[in-house]
Amino acid sequence: MGAVDLSQFHKTFFEESLEGLDAMEAALLALDSGSTDHELVHTIFRAAHSIKGGAATFGFADVAAFTHVAESLLEEVRSERRAVDTGLTDLLLRSVDCLRAMLDRTAKHQPAADATSEALRAELTELVEGKIAAAPAAAKATAAPVAGWDIRFVAMPHLLQTGNEPLRLFRELQQLGTLEVVRAFVSDAAPADFAALDPSQCYMGWELRLHGAVARGDLDAVFEWLDGDCELAIEPLAASPAEQAAPAAAPVSSAPSAVVPAAAPAREAAAAGGGGGEGGSIRVGIDKVDALIDMMGELVITQSMLNNIGENFDLSQLERLREGLAQLERNTRELQESVMRIRMLPIGSVFNRFPRLVRDLERKLGKQVRLELQGEQTELDKTVLEKIGDPLVHLVRNAIDHGLEMPAQRRAAGKPEAGTLTLDAHHEGGNIVVRISDDGAGLNHERILAKGIERGLVKPGHQLSDDEVAELIFQPGFSTAAQATDLSGRGVGMDVVRRNVRDLGGSVSVKSVAGKGSTFTIALPLTLAIIDGLVTEVGEERYIVPLISIVESLRLPADAVRKIAGGGEVFQFRGEYLPVIRLHRAFGCANAIAEVERGIVVVVEDEGQRVGLLVDELVGQQQAVIKSLEKHYERVQGVSGATIVSDGSVALIVDVGGVARLGRRSKAA
Amino acid sequence: MAGKRAAKRDGEQHDEVATVVLPADCRIGAQAVLQAELSEALRGGAIEFDGSQVERVDTAALQLLVLFRRALDARGGTLSWRSVSTALNDAASLLGLARILELPAVGPA
Amino acid sequence: MAKILAVDDSASMRGMVAFTLRGAGHEVTEAENGQLALDAAGAGAFDLVLADVNMPVMDGISMVRALRAKPEYQGVPILMLTTESNTEKKMEGKAAGATGWLVKPFDPEQLLATVKRVLG
Repeated sequence: MGAVDLSQFHKTFFEESLEGLDAMEAALLALDSGSTDHELVHTIFRAAHSIKGGAATFGFADVAAFTHVAESLLEEVRSERRAVDTGLTDLLLRSVDCLRAMLDRTAKHQPAADATSEALRAELTELVEGKIAAAPAAAKATAAPVAGWDIRFVAMPHLLQTGNEPLRLFRELQQLGTLEVVRAFVSDAAPADFAALDPSQCYMGWELRLHGAVARGDLDAVFEWLDGDCELAIEPLAASPAEQAAPAAAPVSSAPSAVVPAAAPAREAAAAGGGGGEGGSIRVGIDKVDALIDMMGELVITQSMLNNIGENFDLSQLERLREGLAQLERNTRELQESVMRIRMLPIGSVFNRFPRLVRDLERKLGKQVRLELQGEQTELDKTVLEKIGDPLVHLVRNAIDHGLEMPAQRRAAGKPEAGTLTLDAHHEGGNIVVRISDDGAGLNHERILAKGIERGLVKPGHQLSDDEVAELIFQPGFSTAAQATDLSGRGVGMDVVRRNVRDLGGSVSVKSVAGKGSTFTIALPLTLAIIDGLVTEVGEERYIVPLISIVESLRLPADAVRKIAGGGEVFQFRGEYLPVIRLHRAFGCANAIAEVERGIVVVVEDEGQRVGLLVDELVGQQQAVIKSLEKHYERVQGVSGATIVSDGSVALIVDVGGVARLGRRSKAA
Repeated sequence: MAGKRAAKRDGEQHDEVATVVLPADCRIGAQAVLQAELSEALRGGAIEFDGSQVERVDTAALQLLVLFRRALDARGGTLSWRSVSTALNDAASLLGLARILELPAVGPA
Repeated sequence: MAKILAVDDSASMRGMVAFTLRGAGHEVTEAENGQLALDAAGAGAFDLVLADVNMPVMDGISMVRALRAKPEYQGVPILMLTTESNTEKKMEGKAAGATGWLVKPFDPEQLLATVKRVLG
């Protein structure tokens, strides 16, 4: 209740609570693997503590109640009254999961507690039992009517340095009744030498009389914060004939807290929105914002310099104008990079979920895994980052489930019992490359081939290279999975992984050595918003080919291209026959060059498949800011988007994968 | 911030009176400076406080004045007020120190 | 109205506190931990500091101790925002120089009432 609407803070609360749970989980795992760093315990405690405080403040009573018990348990750990063992970390890890689910339900305005959370809470409560049950009901002060109180209040020297200003206390007392200062005095502790005294120390004392039927509790509340800062004696006014049994002068000690603890059950279901909505905010490091501001500063300087030149321009200044324009170009590029960097987040946030996953899988499968994370600081576009988690989870699961052998098998193969699983992220050219490698048994060539034949993906008797066999696992229909949507479920096909990665503009491939292990490589674009492209001309139109997919551009003599059965065309490139795709034909462009020898063939590669694209001419390289065609028009086969080129016209961006598939179809046909 | 010492001649009757102007923000942070100033003022016999500018005052300040008054008494000096702001008067009254400090009624004396 | 420094590592709690106080006409500066609060305190004269206890980098109790060491913050009220209902922790805060505490959870009205009480 209250005039202030707190629902606007719910979203922040959920976000930071989930972050807190991540930190808690990581710390628990570190403790579990034998670390004795006491700071870990503090981290765990702090996270639980914050969630409890926030949940109670925002009225999420179930979450608050749950974290309260967890916190009590953690407090015992923090104060070293309870040792950390596997049982405890297990319990706390389950609590982390439970809290994630509770927060999720709360955000959806559903009741947070369910049977699971209640059972877990009971389990936690049982562990801290004695302490919880012993919590006594607050002792009620007998509120017998009195005529007033005599108060003797002598400040301790440090009183003023606690910010507890006697003036404030006296004003508060005035609000309770009529305050009479019977006597104000300087204590004997005050130094006699005026010049030598410390004016920040307090040497004053007062005898006060508060007239009125003031409850003792109200009086205690005024002095609640002063325990240890003053000598205090409070007695009911002797003049009152009523009670003789009143307590004798008692120093105020731990007065009952003025605020009611977390009990008030507020049904969050009815709460106004704010938790569920996808606002899509991003946290940006100050350094990035500062870099941006620096960049802007430089841009402003360049602009004013160009202004200067422009104001009284003559040819003698041409060189300076060129310099200025070059500087402007540099500024623009740097600014663009800085802006893009704002969307970039370290992949560590995704990697961080793996220690837990690996630990759980280890237990479940009876395997031993040494997880190595490398390049956690490598930054990825936020959108890519959000979507790469599931494919990675799948690959990690797969590596442990199918890749790594049981300890006994490993020992027999002369390997250490614990398998090594490495997740590594790094920049490679214009891409971010994420590798998931294990030192397990490698892909089982024979079984995959057999299954490929069984599923009708390979004709029996067909010879396939190792790479081709590996490629089979990505084929739709290879996996036995019934449902192909839930990646976190078991047995989902690799084809879904590939599709998800492809949707991000990336590619995934696998290398495997029998007995040595497998490496899955995911290559992702730095950002989804900009590509480096080669501008080509086809008839009167321009097409942009993403630079990363270009292998080579070449001129072919007329006789280099051979027609094959079914109407397709191929040419030989580095000992391999590649299909030729005439872009003008694929996209229906008028007035384009039809003779191969007059045009240029751009060899592009997508997922190991190469094709040659026939264009009229190469115009130049350009960074292209991708505009979605789907958003502005509709999805077009073979086109991934549009952009504005430097002369202001619109160019379409070639979807190399899509075009290559067109080509493969015509080759196969 | 701290009170300026204005030991100036003030008309006919108070030829040897030193006037100490109390600062507008006369709280704990200002006391060290005020104390130094008052320590010096103690050497003269008659002190006059100008409290007209005081907007914010706390117990530390009033205590310092009380202790100053005590030290002054011990030396046989005299204390008078030129003027007292409402804030100063209210605070001194609330703490029951108005009498010890011989505060006059509010307003210019 | 008063200048208030609100210190909490939880953005939602800090936001709630700041929003409530601003609504009451106060000028609020926010800080994410004790260290940042000290930096902010050095730059501006605050009438009141509200600080969480458990924070990374520098906790609330160390922050109070450091603030009290600055002459200009000797008498400034500093309230600990704490969920600790145990006396021990409150006393630790007090020993460091805190004025008092506000026990979480508190609603905006309780916050405003306490702030009003401290500001006198």
